[in-house]
Amino acid sequence: MNSDEEKMITTFCSLCGPAISCGINCYVKDGRLVRIEGMKESPVNKGKLCARAYGSMQWLYSPQRLKYPLKRVGEKGEGKFERITWDEALGIIADRLHEQKEKYGPESLAVLSPQHRSYKDYFLRFLTVHGSPNYGHSGICYVQRAFSFAYTLGNPSIGVQGCDYENADLIIIWTANPVTASTAMGTLRRILDARERGAKLVVIKPEMQSDASKADIWLPIRPGTNAALALAMINVIVNENLYDKEFVDKWCYGFDKLVPHIQQYSPEWAETITGLPSGRIREVARLYAKTKAACILAGNAFDQNTDSNNAVRAVSILMAITGHVDRPGGNIVPVDTFLTRVKSVNPRERYSQELVDKLVGPEMPIPFQPFMEGVSSAYYRCLDSVLSEQPYPLKTIMVAGTQPVVSTRNSGRIIEALKKLEFFVVIDVMENSSMPWADIVIPVSTMYESDHPFEVSPNWIMARNRVVEPLGDYKSDYQFWLDLGVKMGYGDDFWQGDMDKCMNYQLENFGMTIDELRQHPHGIVYDLKPMVYEKYEAIFNTPSPRLSKAPFLPQGKVAIYNTSFEEIGVNPLPQWVEPPESFTGTPELVEKYPLVYFDTHTSDVYNHAWLRNIPSLREIHPDPWVHIHPDTAKVRGIEDGDWVIIESPHGWVKVRAVYFPGIRPDTLMGLHGWWQGCEELDLPGSPLLDGGANTNVLYSTDPKKAFDPMVTAMPKQTLVQVRKAED
Amino acid sequence: MATQYGFYFDSTRCVQCHTCENACKTTRNVEPGVKLRRVTEKWDGVFPNVTRTFFSLACMHCEEPACLEVCPTGAISKRAEDGIVVVDSDKCNGCRDCAAACPYGIPQFGKDGKLQMCDYCTPTGRPPACAVSCPAEALFYGTLEELWARAAGKPAKRMGGVAKPSIIVVG
Repeated sequence: MNSDEEKMITTFCSLCGPAISCGINCYVKDGRLVRIEGMKESPVNKGKLCARAYGSMQWLYSPQRLKYPLKRVGEKGEGKFERITWDEALGIIADRLHEQKEKYGPESLAVLSPQHRSYKDYFLRFLTVHGSPNYGHSGICYVQRAFSFAYTLGNPSIGVQGCDYENADLIIIWTANPVTASTAMGTLRRILDARERGAKLVVIKPEMQSDASKADIWLPIRPGTNAALALAMINVIVNENLYDKEFVDKWCYGFDKLVPHIQQYSPEWAETITGLPSGRIREVARLYAKTKAACILAGNAFDQNTDSNNAVRAVSILMAITGHVDRPGGNIVPVDTFLTRVKSVNPRERYSQELVDKLVGPEMPIPFQPFMEGVSSAYYRCLDSVLSEQPYPLKTIMVAGTQPVVSTRNSGRIIEALKKLEFFVVIDVMENSSMPWADIVIPVSTMYESDHPFEVSPNWIMARNRVVEPLGDYKSDYQFWLDLGVKMGYGDDFWQGDMDKCMNYQLENFGMTIDELRQHPHGIVYDLKPMVYEKYEAIFNTPSPRLSKAPFLPQGKVAIYNTSFEEIGVNPLPQWVEPPESFTGTPELVEKYPLVYFDTHTSDVYNHAWLRNIPSLREIHPDPWVHIHPDTAKVRGIEDGDWVIIESPHGWVKVRAVYFPGIRPDTLMGLHGWWQGCEELDLPGSPLLDGGANTNVLYSTDPKKAFDPMVTAMPKQTLVQVRKAED
Repeated sequence: MATQYGFYFDSTRCVQCHTCENACKTTRNVEPGVKLRRVTEKWDGVFPNVTRTFFSLACMHCEEPACLEVCPTGAISKRAEDGIVVVDSDKCNGCRDCAAACPYGIPQFGKDGKLQMCDYCTPTGRPPACAVSCPAEALFYGTLEELWARAAGKPAKRMGGVAKPSIIVVG
């Protein structure tokens, strides 16, 4: 091979979703992408990539790629389609939306998208122009944490992106996984570097994932009990006078009400719930309170339990009363950079109370809408409305890069909803699990086949470059929303379909056109402004994105006692609420279901319900798995590698047992997102409902128990029994 | 001593993210079923006092390769200029004596039954894709001198064994 024959084109990855992506150098030979490597110039990934990114070439050339727009010709669920043109596809969708807007109102349309994808602002624009508030957001990722951090500490990202690793002497990874999430984006390296220079590492999670293998202290917590642990840690810190009195006096509201409230949550009380020895809880609480430079990385599991808001508020209070907010080595609010903010295509200025009031299933209560992503309904509630018709049924659902049947709970009910739904549009790169119920399927390009939009991180901006010509009759996600806007007659709001004009609009303040930006093949990197700590006046008076723009914190102080929540009848102090099923909450279930089951959403090689069809990745984890402690397995006659059946009160899955000595013996852990086969490896797909490997069938969706009242977080933990599969 | 290229592996940083594995696999178009590099894990202890350690394993281009010594057809050779151990597929008869001889379980065999091993990406004229990719900065490539310099001040040692693998291990 002669590398001289290869042409190098720079672009950025978008496989794992977050709007900030890793820069990639792509090498093309005879029009084909032959290899990639991380872009050194990118301040995000600094030349590194992850296993998924290296699988992206096989993703691009996968035989499961959609090839052209499709229209359903068989019954719903049958999966029979015929090819149509783009003009026909756009025409059919536009006609349907016009008809329904007239008949049911514009709010009868929802667009679902689970992650913070960069095309999100484009469909938010479409929804707003059309007149619908119903962006159906996951209710399982990031926004839940962000909400509770914002309304307690005044900043949404402080507990996630706000860790000052470089100056920390103690880092607590709390049900986060910096190895599998955004692997190459810096968090992992920063934590490893800190550890290498002597920072202590505490990892709180039910099994010893690879980050926990590096921990000085590993707390193998029982799934779904983060709030109980955090409350007990507050109890220790308050009762042992380990809190920062000066900070509490000056910057916290309601500490006096916290003191009596917290007495019920002793470490001994928490021991029965969390399964952690009370002595261990005390040890970690003292260590955190006594280490001046200490930060907490709060992970995705906080978004996926009914105690979400309670747990994140309790963690926020821990950070505050110990004086770890916006101080060196603590949880900080990063300073701005010299990069001029670009304009968003999300027309937030058009939000109105009338629009907000029409939400079909508000992700956060109406008085707290919109939040950071825009106005939003909860993903599950959007689908549920089709059946419950409460408060009204959605008539069209468009799913952009998401698969309702495997991306939210209660897949059986979701399939019923998709059958009943009047009009269902699937937008994806690849054939997906929910496509059989679609009326129209829209095939979109991968990141390698599109030359837009541009990417912007806090200190890096770069134009996307087309690496290869589209392999099918594709448009990008972005162009699709512009074209649909034009077809609907909303052309003036959609730059008459001209993507360059749309990008130039966004770049107006930046002082550069997209063509000029394109002249910088690695983009432009800006310096960070020098860090300033203890910016309390600014942080605690940050305006919220609500219509009123009222600050997150009404008292201009940390909301230990939360009057904003109290106003709508939600507990003003964080408390412990049992999930729908647990050892301590539903002891009557324990005889039949003696183990806790939970799942992880991120994987080292997969992304949610995607990428199982990529052979190089699938070889690493070929079968749906469950981690089981060898002792738990042996008493049930289960050998390492056996197929097992896991049964909860709600459904059952069949997966392969993997002996895992580093998991709580009372707990099983699986991986979310299994359904897809892998043609190249001759691995079949698995059923979507009982008997498959779709963990969503295991969990409760009881309307009274299965939703956090503030942020609609749904549980990913339940009680189960496991047995060897007979065949 | 002649120049010897090798690897540097820091087990205190490896988190089994599999990036090195898949960088190798897709950059070099390795066929399904063949793993020229893989990240292994080892458990010790009893819950909750368990430890879990990882090792990124590929041909370590030994100074005295056991595979080379037993190969009956001369398909395996060690390059004089850089110490890289390479395979001549035309000469390989698929006997797998090399697999039996290698103390580290490295040799792989694909559909054609012939030996496949890490060639340090030498045919590409580029550095090994695995080491370039590592997001944890646990795996590096270079001459042993360069790698010893990188290891300065760390608890590093060269992996033992009669074959003298060209790898410096931290932790």
